[in-house]
Amino acid sequence: MSAPAAPVARQGGRSGGTATRGTDARTPARYRRRPQKRLVFLLPAAVFLAALSVYPLIQLVRMAFSAVTAATLNSSWVWTGLTNIRTGWASGQTQQAIVRTVVFVVIVTALGMALGLGGAIALRTRGRWSGILLAVMVFVWALPPVVNGSVWKFLLGSNGLVNTLLLDLHLRQTPAPFLYSQYWALGSVAFVSSFAVIPFNALVYRAALLNIEPEVFEAAAIDGANKWQEIRHIMTPAVRPTTLVLLVLTIVYGFRGFDFIYVMTYGGPGTATNTLPFLGYLQAFVRYDFGLGASTSILAVLGVLVLAVVYARSIRREEADR
Amino acid sequence: MPALAALGVLALAACSGGSSGTQATGSSTGGAQAGGQTITVWHYFSDPNQVALMDKYAQLFEAAHPGDKVVNTYVPYDQMDSKVVAAAGSKTGPDVVVFNGAEAATIVLGGGLLPLDDYLSAYPDKAQLPPSTLHVVNGKTYAVQGYVNLLGLWYNKDILDKIGVQPPTTMAELETDMQKAKDAGYGGITLSGLPNSQGEWQAYPWITDAGFTYDNLDQSALANGFTRIQNWVKKGWLSQEATTWDQTVPFQTFAAGNVAFAENGNWQMATAKANAKFAYGVVPLPISSTAGIYLGGEGEGIGTYSKNPQLAWDYLTSSYLAPDGQLAAASLVGSLPSRLDVAKNSQVTSDALLTPFATEIATVGAAYPSAKIPPAGVAAVQTAMGQAWSAVIGGQQSPQDAAAAAIQAVKKASNG
Repeated sequence: MSAPAAPVARQGGRSGGTATRGTDARTPARYRRRPQKRLVFLLPAAVFLAALSVYPLIQLVRMAFSAVTAATLNSSWVWTGLTNIRTGWASGQTQQAIVRTVVFVVIVTALGMALGLGGAIALRTRGRWSGILLAVMVFVWALPPVVNGSVWKFLLGSNGLVNTLLLDLHLRQTPAPFLYSQYWALGSVAFVSSFAVIPFNALVYRAALLNIEPEVFEAAAIDGANKWQEIRHIMTPAVRPTTLVLLVLTIVYGFRGFDFIYVMTYGGPGTATNTLPFLGYLQAFVRYDFGLGASTSILAVLGVLVLAVVYARSIRREEADR
Repeated sequence: MPALAALGVLALAACSGGSSGTQATGSSTGGAQAGGQTITVWHYFSDPNQVALMDKYAQLFEAAHPGDKVVNTYVPYDQMDSKVVAAAGSKTGPDVVVFNGAEAATIVLGGGLLPLDDYLSAYPDKAQLPPSTLHVVNGKTYAVQGYVNLLGLWYNKDILDKIGVQPPTTMAELETDMQKAKDAGYGGITLSGLPNSQGEWQAYPWITDAGFTYDNLDQSALANGFTRIQNWVKKGWLSQEATTWDQTVPFQTFAAGNVAFAENGNWQMATAKANAKFAYGVVPLPISSTAGIYLGGEGEGIGTYSKNPQLAWDYLTSSYLAPDGQLAAASLVGSLPSRLDVAKNSQVTSDALLTPFATEIATVGAAYPSAKIPPAGVAAVQTAMGQAWSAVIGGQQSPQDAAAAAIQAVKKASNG
């Protein structure tokens, strides 16, 4: 058979019987054009992506290596090479922000993953209470960070609910300085940030757990497995591929953490909660040194990009395994 | 190129993950009627009294210009400057911008405001506007002020009566009174310790009382000022939680009735009247005569890409700069008129709460920002000083370390 016939057979196979019309001499050429037609449908998304993601990213990189202030933002930018990066490092603020960002990401990831899995296991069974809990979690997930952060700022205040409980239960003599101690503030904001990601993680984990055949649990029950053994030997292995994807997404979420810091501490006390995204914001939109802010933001972008590659590879591997 | 700049800023905003944007407030005015013209005013007020004042200004303008309309648009405080500059980059923007007067240079350098010199030259009441209420950058006037705002010492008279003291006139008296208030189970004082320009604004009277100015950059004097405020925290007179408070929260805390004093502004009068269920009053901050209190307030300017700059100027002269508008600001919000003739109006001079602020203007009023700071460095200096102020209140840094870091940042910003 000649070479052109092969695509016809493949396409015919997919479209369920159209191969019989492949005897038409014009058909192979029409089928060969089809992939190009498909690309046309990708065009709108590609244009949007180029205009709203790729191009601004290129501008961001340009900005990071240029002197850009409020005075020069709307004129030509003078290329200054590594000056902005050197300035950030010389001030010591960049290094401190990197350390805080790592601490923030570790807390958000650890709590987000562990409590997300815990929530999914609790919600695995179908019933009224799991349905109500699921609805509440979706509500928390959908809540705007500014609202969520403001509520938590109130709850964690000196006269807030949490401190009132701690004092009433005699667990503390004085209010816990959740948001205004340099030692507590970063952890508190990271906790709230992880609280916001738990519902998403729980929903994804729950979907993975629901894919486990009921017969597996029945067999385990016949063999005398208890709840903990079910979790350890059935559920945890079953959600391993999901865990890898979710881990990457949660770390990226942590790297992007800005909203809760903005609402709850504004980087304070002093600079105690200045992570990379917030430091970049202060430099660019408060001090109006857009070049310096861009150079700081580039660091966060690099971290996210590395994780994005890991995410893409893990997704591809997971699809290949199916 | 401006469009490219706008996209660059967009990318930067995406990196910061910032949310929110502009939203229309509940202005009494709507869109333009057929044949009428619309003036768009960007402001950052969310307090009901201040929003009511914006509506009043709109009414004054619309009464003077039948058929024309005002659209008041809310922009979050800390996004105002960047949004005006970004809009100018894409050759758009509001007709009128109402912004923090101290940040005029940032917007002007970003190309967001038109010079007002020609309009002011033709303005018959120009002599009524003191030079301190005009914002001049590089020799040109870009904004006017319809009122002046400044800080004073609010006191809870009920608490002072209970502990048997009079409102303080010296720092020693203030500290003694705060200790007595604490001993009686009350808080000493509320103020803002937020690590930004609001913190710097609130810190200025206390650090200048200790001898620091932006002219002398005396590190030991600054450390002394910081030591005083850190002692207030250690002695339990001031809550460490102040590091999370903007200027609104500490006044609400004071208005709740359990704190003896509040360092806050004249613009809180309506809030006090509405919320405080106790007798209260204001005295000048008990600082030395060589110290300073910033003379602040919003600047009002015309956007570079206003579709009708002349009408925008008419809006300013029929609202912010008009005697009726200035009296409305005094009665609705408690702001001090900027016009010399209106400042002498009996409605202003007979107000017991406004009088202490007027006294401060005459005795310790200071230019905001300090003329010593170059325009391009204002934002960096305010941020650095606000962070140092927050760090000593929160205990992140010793007064000496915070002072050293702040002085270093100020010198760097001042040298460009």
